[in-house]
Amino acid sequence: MNKIDVACIIDDDPIFIFGAKRMMELSDFCNSFMVFKNGQEAINNLKPIMNAGQNVPDVILLDINMPIMDGWQFLDEFVKIESHKKMTIYIVSSSIDPVDIKRAERYDNITNYIIKPISLQTLKNILEETL
Amino acid sequence: MYTPNTPSHNNINLLNFIQERASIGTWEYNPKSSELNWSNQTKKIHEVALDFEPNVEIGLTFYKEGHSLETINELFTNCLEEHKDFDAEVQIVTATGKDKWVRAIGIPIVENNECVFVQGLFQDIDNRTKNAKALALKEEQLRLTFDTALVGMAIIDLEGQWINVNKSLCKTFGYNKEEIKSLSFMDLTHPDDLKKDYKAMLSMMSGNLDYFETEKRYINKKGETIWAQLFISIVRNDNGVPQHFVAQINDHTEIKKSSEKVNQLLRTTEDQNKRLLNFAHIVSHNLRSHYGNLDMLLDIIEMDLPETTDNEIFPLVKQAVSHLGETVANLNEVAAINIQKDLKTEKLNLLKCFNGAFSSISALIIESKTSVSVDIDPDIAIKGVPAYLDSIILNFLTNAIKYKKPQEPAKIEINARVDQDDVILEIRDYGQGIDLKKYGEKLFGMYKTFHKHEDSRGLGLFITKNQIEALGGKIDVKSQVNEGTTFYIYLKKYE
Repeated sequence: MNKIDVACIIDDDPIFIFGAKRMMELSDFCNSFMVFKNGQEAINNLKPIMNAGQNVPDVILLDINMPIMDGWQFLDEFVKIESHKKMTIYIVSSSIDPVDIKRAERYDNITNYIIKPISLQTLKNILEETL
Repeated sequence: MYTPNTPSHNNINLLNFIQERASIGTWEYNPKSSELNWSNQTKKIHEVALDFEPNVEIGLTFYKEGHSLETINELFTNCLEEHKDFDAEVQIVTATGKDKWVRAIGIPIVENNECVFVQGLFQDIDNRTKNAKALALKEEQLRLTFDTALVGMAIIDLEGQWINVNKSLCKTFGYNKEEIKSLSFMDLTHPDDLKKDYKAMLSMMSGNLDYFETEKRYINKKGETIWAQLFISIVRNDNGVPQHFVAQINDHTEIKKSSEKVNQLLRTTEDQNKRLLNFAHIVSHNLRSHYGNLDMLLDIIEMDLPETTDNEIFPLVKQAVSHLGETVANLNEVAAINIQKDLKTEKLNLLKCFNGAFSSISALIIESKTSVSVDIDPDIAIKGVPAYLDSIILNFLTNAIKYKKPQEPAKIEINARVDQDDVILEIRDYGQGIDLKKYGEKLFGMYKTFHKHEDSRGLGLFITKNQIEALGGKIDVKSQVNEGTTFYIYLKKYE
């Protein structure tokens, strides 16, 4: 099966990052990944990457609850950046609050809402949807 | 023949005129001859015929027994013997049986220290007396009302001075009547509420306002603040000139205090609700995220370090994590029901919902050889939330199957009826039954199980009850061990 080129994880939880990275490696999910600890860090780094059009992530796994800039704020900033490439965004959150799920539906560029924990199957599904 | 210039004739006419107009009759008594004469008007007052010939004995029989008769007897005797004038207001009973107030006046004419003649007047004062007495009664009633009213009442002059106050008002303020009368309403009003009162009083005095009602604060003798409802109106004379104010002051302090307590409780409850919401959020997010991490890490261990999982401990850790996940999910479910405000209900067809539930567990029903009979009018619709109704129905069906008698397949009977605003859904099973004496109170509690069964979470009925109540309904149960259980689910009819 083909794999994704660049995956991006935006999450403040080091355990999740560790686990997600390991799962991606184990499932041969992508060639490389980039990790940001909150929305602000992600925006700061993604902006030049997207402008340059080099090494732009294909898939973003976005947490909601993060310090400094949360997932919603990130999305509001993210849509302002001009992109030359289609990027698939998944919300990946522990929150099963229907309010959050409803809110995610309002964003056009969100492909799906994934409730943590993620498993190999989750990654497989993403792979199928994306490729 | 009419002779206008005869003075005596004129005098008699004048006298008759006066007698008739003023309802005053005359009488004369001669003690020597015992002769008693009544004028025509006197006879009219007694309501006897004009040819009636009175004597003293008969005359006295007209006086009302008791006070009136005794009074007139005494006065008449005194008049004859002691030569004293009399003038008394007494009651007679007329020839036609009417009670009448009269004024009887007697003046003795004395010669040689002997009463030779008594001249008197007899006046009908019935109307006047009755009116006066009625007025006095009304005044007494009013005074009593004023004095003993539970609400504080006062008359206040145009300068704000208390003219008269009642007991209740004294009690409210802690002053006695005299003390209050030396004060003005300004002295007793809380400084912050004075402006409002002045404005209202001026408006009333200038004729723009007839009465004024407000909740305001006063200060009692001890210097404490009193909350009261004031109703004050202005009294004007016939020419519209303001005379004084009449005020009713209802002490609200206790009510105010208890309503503050209620508000305090309300705030506490709201705070607690907020904390509960926070707690629910912690459960929903934080606990879940920790559980998620644990679960994910275990998956990675299994893939990355399979050699470390081949022992007794690893499966137990895995089981514990899985239980943690279930508990968090349950707590979430419970919290979600309790937190949800303004539940959006819609019209739900009961039979359709039932059929939907059946098809979702049809495999279970077939496998367990359960027989289900459903008697629900296809027109019955309830007010509900689809997810709740599904969960309620499924929970009762699966429970009935789970807690069947061990040796025989489950048998479930379902029917529904409408009772006014309610739809009563009856779900009867012929299973193990529940000992309600032992478990009745715990039946719908959290984490209570009554049967040994591998899937028992002890949460189903708790959640179901919460969902039913969230839909404005209630639940009842009847059960007999070894005979089965019937649940009565009250739901709101859709109108």
